[in-house]
Amino acid sequence: MMLSHPRFAVVGHPNKGKSSIVSALCLDDTVQISDTPGTTINTRSFPLRVDGKVLYELFDTPGFQRPTKVLAWLQQYRVSADKKHEVIQAFIDEHRHDAIFHDEIELLEPIMEGAGIVYVVDGSKPYSQEYEAEMEILRYTGQPSMALINPIDISDYTQEWKRALEQYFKIVRVFNPMTAHFEEHMALLESIAQLKQEWTAPMKHSIALFKAHQEHLFEQTATAIARLVHEALSSVERVPLRGKEASKAEKEELEQRYKNRLRALEMAAQKKVEHIWSHDHLQKEQQLLTFEGMDLFSQETASVFGLTRNELLVAAATSGASVGAGIDLLFVGHTLLLGAAIGAIGGAASAFLGFNELSEIKVLGQTLGRRSIEMGPMVNKNFPYILLGRALYHANTVIGYSHAMRSKVDMVMDSSFKSKWLLDEMKKSLEKFHTLFRAKEVVQGDVLEQYAALIQTILKRLTDA
Amino acid sequence: MTLESYLDFQSVVKEHHSSKEERRAFGIQHADLKTRPLEQILSWFDAHKKSVKKPLVGKIITSALYKISLILGLVAFFLGLFSGIGLLSYSGKEPVNVLYFMAMVIILPLLSMLLSLIAMLRVKHSSEVLVHLSPAFWMEQILSVLLKKRGKKVQEMVIDPLLANWVVIKRSQLLALLFSFGLLLALVATVVTKDIAFSWSTTLHIDAKTFYDFLYAVALPWRDLFSSGVPSLELIEQSHYFRLGNSLDKTMIQHPALLGEWWKFLALATIFYALFLRLLLFMTAFLGLRVALKQAILSLEEAKILLEEMNEPIITSHAIEPEAGLSTAEGKYEKTVLTLVPSYDAVYGWYISQEQLLLLCESVGVRASHCIEAGALMPLAKEGEIQDKSKVEVLCFVRAWEPPTMEIVDFLTELSCRADKVIVVPVGTLENQYRATPKELDVWDRKLTVLNHDKIWLKR
Repeated sequence: MMLSHPRFAVVGHPNKGKSSIVSALCLDDTVQISDTPGTTINTRSFPLRVDGKVLYELFDTPGFQRPTKVLAWLQQYRVSADKKHEVIQAFIDEHRHDAIFHDEIELLEPIMEGAGIVYVVDGSKPYSQEYEAEMEILRYTGQPSMALINPIDISDYTQEWKRALEQYFKIVRVFNPMTAHFEEHMALLESIAQLKQEWTAPMKHSIALFKAHQEHLFEQTATAIARLVHEALSSVERVPLRGKEASKAEKEELEQRYKNRLRALEMAAQKKVEHIWSHDHLQKEQQLLTFEGMDLFSQETASVFGLTRNELLVAAATSGASVGAGIDLLFVGHTLLLGAAIGAIGGAASAFLGFNELSEIKVLGQTLGRRSIEMGPMVNKNFPYILLGRALYHANTVIGYSHAMRSKVDMVMDSSFKSKWLLDEMKKSLEKFHTLFRAKEVVQGDVLEQYAALIQTILKRLTDA
Repeated sequence: MTLESYLDFQSVVKEHHSSKEERRAFGIQHADLKTRPLEQILSWFDAHKKSVKKPLVGKIITSALYKISLILGLVAFFLGLFSGIGLLSYSGKEPVNVLYFMAMVIILPLLSMLLSLIAMLRVKHSSEVLVHLSPAFWMEQILSVLLKKRGKKVQEMVIDPLLANWVVIKRSQLLALLFSFGLLLALVATVVTKDIAFSWSTTLHIDAKTFYDFLYAVALPWRDLFSSGVPSLELIEQSHYFRLGNSLDKTMIQHPALLGEWWKFLALATIFYALFLRLLLFMTAFLGLRVALKQAILSLEEAKILLEEMNEPIITSHAIEPEAGLSTAEGKYEKTVLTLVPSYDAVYGWYISQEQLLLLCESVGVRASHCIEAGALMPLAKEGEIQDKSKVEVLCFVRAWEPPTMEIVDFLTELSCRADKVIVVPVGTLENQYRATPKELDVWDRKLTVLNHDKIWLKR
């Protein structure tokens, strides 16, 4: 049965990273990957579907288990090159229900149905003649093929592998599914597209779609982060009062609830970002959003994620000055730049006073005989930078994290990250948005969109770096 | 786009549980609307509103809102009417002071319109005090109290604060418009049914000329069209009334018809200031509400999700069938040897050349009568022959980094049939001084555990 869309079978020796490659290319973190040979026992199809239409299909196959025996069977028949695929078909037909050759049948079947071959080897281990039987069998199929050298470990035997593989395959590429970025994924797909002329156009279409999809994922991520910062800054927690005055316990309860709400918002946003990037099974090693000793966070954490007091003063002063400068402009400079100066002083003063404060606890008036205390919106000027820094770090890690990885991801960042994402020219714009979010005003959709666009720029810069 | 459809859309999008695929299918069917998100949403809403249980929330809320608006509108109209009648009541003893009526149809509308304009400009502020001062705001409050009995669905309905502000502003203009209609009707009715003598009276020292200039400016919008609608200086002079005289001025009595001329000015002032300008403001509020409705519907989280699901292609690349689970052995392989004895009956090397095999034997201090290369390009028959040479205790070197395939398992099984003890010795790469890593050893450990053969041992 020949199908119209391109199909590729990822084949090879057991434990050479076939499933890892499929997992990375298909953005699927549910594929079973382990160092035990024979984890994949049946061929699985991974179709790239766009609105239900299959553009191409990848097959994750079990590894060769008895290649020498298979080759011996094939070599019984002395046939010309154009008939060799018939011998393979005969082998499949004869051993279809033979448990001994279960894995070979599983991997050969999609190839005989028209799938191109992507042969995977481990470039960190020495080449061995043992593989030649496998490559010879694949040559019997007559299907277009390429080889992928997957450097699983640090040792490098790529050159000797290349010398051997180039005798069997017209395309040989090095691809590490654990570290490969989006561009490398696309480059691999482009290489795969070269295997057969008829496959070039649909594969190029798929690549274009992937690229558009990637852009969309960035946009969704930036929106999720923008909403997180907005919701966290404008969030208000309220607790009803039992007596006339707020007791210490009630104040503590309110503060705890307020902090928990912010933590829950952050966790929810992280989950959303992980879902956007199909990392629903991601296991993280991460610290909770802490507020101790703060400065919202410990001084140490604030210096990692947020701005220092001086940086914050400069950002707030610049933001205030720009507002004041608008007034100066209105009066065609007759104010002798007094507006800008007052704005800068006002901005800096508010930043100075609001550096350590989380949010004021307010006792609200009587409404239908009930009094309550309220905390929020967030007044701490550093908080949005801390939250944004954490969210960007998380998103950047998730975006760069291969779907082939199964280990716990370490989300502990160092102070160098802040210098990567927070450029001086951005501080003013960010501060403007944060001030807006803190005010008890209805934030219009376009404001959030502008903020999300800014975050998207930062995020793209981070991932491109 | 109405408030009702905005409210109904919210309940339909929440209650109609359509899948991503269904939404995308709708998007593809209506691909021409892709660049017009609002129309796309409304088209989806029209197609799906029938599937939601009636009555829809929008109908409940807007009909309640309509009833309250109607009642308040009538109240405003009659308030205007009776205020007008009151202000124009003429007993025949004293003329009617036009200043009261002017205040009601010029000053009050201008002041309230100014407040409305400020409210419109600051509409984004949810806690806008001017909006909250409006009678329409309190109308909304009454509405929310009334709707408490109409079920959870109605109570849970959230209206965008910006939209709510526009609703309040628009209805305030409508109430003010009705109030002004009442005033105009009162003026017309009074003028038609009564012979009123108008005058102007003030404690302030304002002469007729100054007052004339003021009225001339007030009448700017219509003075060129209706010159009779501007009181003349003569009329102003003659209708100046001083209460201390306790009787009407002789000249006033001599020209009774002239005093009635004021009604034209009052009517035109009402039409222009209280009605026309208010109508303009009402239309602005109407447009503002329309824009706010569009923005409100597009800024709904559900609408954003819907649009995204309708317009973004569904790209999936994961496997459809679940993966067949493989049971792997747990625990340690019990048949392990930690040290090798100096001599063995035979030493095999799986895909290890004879030369390397001798080197390996030397490095581990082992001697054997036969050192045989197994696997590789060796014909199978010969492999079988080799296995026949197996004696009591044999060693089998394997490359630790290569996973144990069934081919080697077959070989070891065959070998164990001919030997009493087969010791599998995984060796590492030359780079690693032939030492297998613990991870590699674990892989062999697990494989042999699954095999669980009495005669096969593992050198750890």
